[in-house]
Amino acid sequence: MTSVGFFSSNPHLVLCVDDELVGLSVRRILLERSGYKVLTALNGVEALELFREQPVEAVILDYSMPGMQGAEIASLMRRSKPEVPILLLSAYLGLPDEVISTVNIYMTKGEGAPVLLEKLSSLFPLARAAEIS
Amino acid sequence: MQLSEFNRIVRQVLILPILALLLIAAALYWQIHTANGLVDRIQLSNAAISQTNLVGQMIFDQETGLRGYQITGDPRFLEPYNAAQATIPANLQKLQDLTSASPTEAVWVARLKADKEEVARLITDYQTWQQSFAVPVLATMKAGGTTRGENEAGDVEFNLEGKTLMDAVRRDLQAVVQSADARRVRRVTHWHQQIRTLEEVLAASALLGGVLIGLFTLNRLHAVSDQYQFSLTKMRLQSEKIFESEQQLRTTLASIGDGVIACDPEGRVMMMNEVAATLTGWTLNEAMGQPLETIFNIINETTREVVENPVAKVKRLNRVVGLANHTILIRRDGVELNIDDSGAPIRSPEGELTGVVMVFRDITLEKRTRDALMANEKLAVAGRLAATIAHEIHNPLDSVSNLLFLLKQQSTPEETAQFLDLAQQELARVTQISRSMLGLYRESHAPVPIDLKDILEGTLVLLGGRIQDLGARVETELPVGLSIDGFPAELRQVFTNLITNAAEAAGAGGVVTVRVMQRPIATLTGERQADGFLIEIEDNGPGIPENLAEKLFQPFFSTKGEQGTGLGLWVSRGIVRKHGGDLTLVSLAEGGGSRATVSLATHPTMNASGD
Repeated sequence: MTSVGFFSSNPHLVLCVDDELVGLSVRRILLERSGYKVLTALNGVEALELFREQPVEAVILDYSMPGMQGAEIASLMRRSKPEVPILLLSAYLGLPDEVISTVNIYMTKGEGAPVLLEKLSSLFPLARAAEIS
Repeated sequence: MQLSEFNRIVRQVLILPILALLLIAAALYWQIHTANGLVDRIQLSNAAISQTNLVGQMIFDQETGLRGYQITGDPRFLEPYNAAQATIPANLQKLQDLTSASPTEAVWVARLKADKEEVARLITDYQTWQQSFAVPVLATMKAGGTTRGENEAGDVEFNLEGKTLMDAVRRDLQAVVQSADARRVRRVTHWHQQIRTLEEVLAASALLGGVLIGLFTLNRLHAVSDQYQFSLTKMRLQSEKIFESEQQLRTTLASIGDGVIACDPEGRVMMMNEVAATLTGWTLNEAMGQPLETIFNIINETTREVVENPVAKVKRLNRVVGLANHTILIRRDGVELNIDDSGAPIRSPEGELTGVVMVFRDITLEKRTRDALMANEKLAVAGRLAATIAHEIHNPLDSVSNLLFLLKQQSTPEETAQFLDLAQQELARVTQISRSMLGLYRESHAPVPIDLKDILEGTLVLLGGRIQDLGARVETELPVGLSIDGFPAELRQVFTNLITNAAEAAGAGGVVTVRVMQRPIATLTGERQADGFLIEIEDNGPGIPENLAEKLFQPFFSTKGEQGTGLGLWVSRGIVRKHGGDLTLVSLAEGGGSRATVSLATHPTMNASGD
């Protein structure tokens, strides 16, 4: 079980976006225990505001949300900070290709916490490389 | 041709010859009359000749008597003289009378005058003879003298003079006879001429009359013949037209895609087309004259009971009737066909029922197609729900899986308790969703009691994700304890459809209101009011364009492009009507939006097909 940055003095700042309050809080606890600093947002507007103001290093985005959909939020984020990696979470299978191509990683909910953590850590190769060296 | 026209011609043909014959007869009569006059004249001439001869005889007798007396002195010789003396003047007068002209002999008047003068001369000469000879002779004789001329020369001379005078009388007599004879000849000639003229006139008028009558009759007959030809042509054209229109009707009847059977008022088959023959399995020849129910054996699909003979029904109601739904026609070979049909009375122009015509068609395929479409729509609803359900279940499952991961790691007892609590909550959500889903596809064969609050909330749970995706909000007014009898799976399909439609119409930030009200409702047949409920599903979206309101219930009509099957509302209305209720869709006047109203009876009479 790799928990990158668990004991790091400079943990990665991750923005978590989901309209499901319970799911979002559990994910936050999970990520914090894994050593990430976590910001949460319950909707698109909130998420974009935090993304603009905070030095977010990665985004975990729920695809299906009321108001602004995950895909729309992702493309807006890409426009302002294209270097920030995005992980898209969805309860649906078979998302449109143009949505998948916008984000770095796409996974379905229910694949489990270890998969999520592994995929998230893979978004920070340079950091991990630096850590190892 | 008009009969009156024909009668007129017949009258003309009858009357004209009669008139012509009358004219000819009149002419003939006049001619004969004239000829008769001539014959009279001829007889008159004959009489004049006889009279002249008679007078001549008398005069000669007188002279002979006088001569005898003159010679003998015997007065007995004077008897003829005296006898004639008494009658001669009258006979002379008669002769004069006989010598006269009729007005028609005007041309001969001059000649007649001469004739009269001859008679007058005769009379004069006779009188002269008498005065100058007979009277002196008699006077001499009576005085005792003689006039025989034996003694004196004067006597001879006197006698000679008497002879001369008598000769003049003889000449006169001869002239009168000749004139009368000439007159007679003229008259006979005239009579002959007249007869010839009469013959000619008769021949000419017969010829002319005949020709005229012939020509006229010919003309009239031509008129009749023309009229007859005209009528014949007209009739032929008419019969051609009738034939053509009959052919056209025959072709039309044969080309009609529906079965057509015509019966007499007693319900015996008089006529049927090809389609009817195919559908019933009877040929026209076999079916002709058979009672309708023999070849048109229909039963109710559900009850299997014999359906009332349409002819009897039409006669009973005396109007166009449609058969009850779910009629099955049992073909001659036993194959069952779903049919849709109607019967209509055939009336004479006087309004008398002269027969019944039935039109029916095979809807077996149509019915199967409809059933298949309804099943398809059910699957489509299930398919759309599946995605929503996956989303709904995945979210709590994801949380539970994450919580289990956290529990495996070291946690404080407080944290553990919190994680377990959260996991339990999320699992409860999953259970609720799966229970709702179970209800969606649990088929039942008889209506069961359904709690309206439960079924609507269950549907809303299943649709929660979808509604949330759309950004709409749901408000409910669902009183507890309201229950109806029905098929839950089907009603859930209806509500799923209507709530999804409302949420899509409301869109982001919109509101969907679901409420149930207890109201007496009108049953579909409109016969009575029943206890029931109105379930209203309202949205505050843009409303329904007026021109689409009814179309929305037609199959394959969709406003959602590829997103919809176009069957949702059609199937929903079918389901609600099957429950004896109705489904209506209206735009809300104030502030836009639309409202779907489902009326359902508490204890409905199920309507097998929903239409």
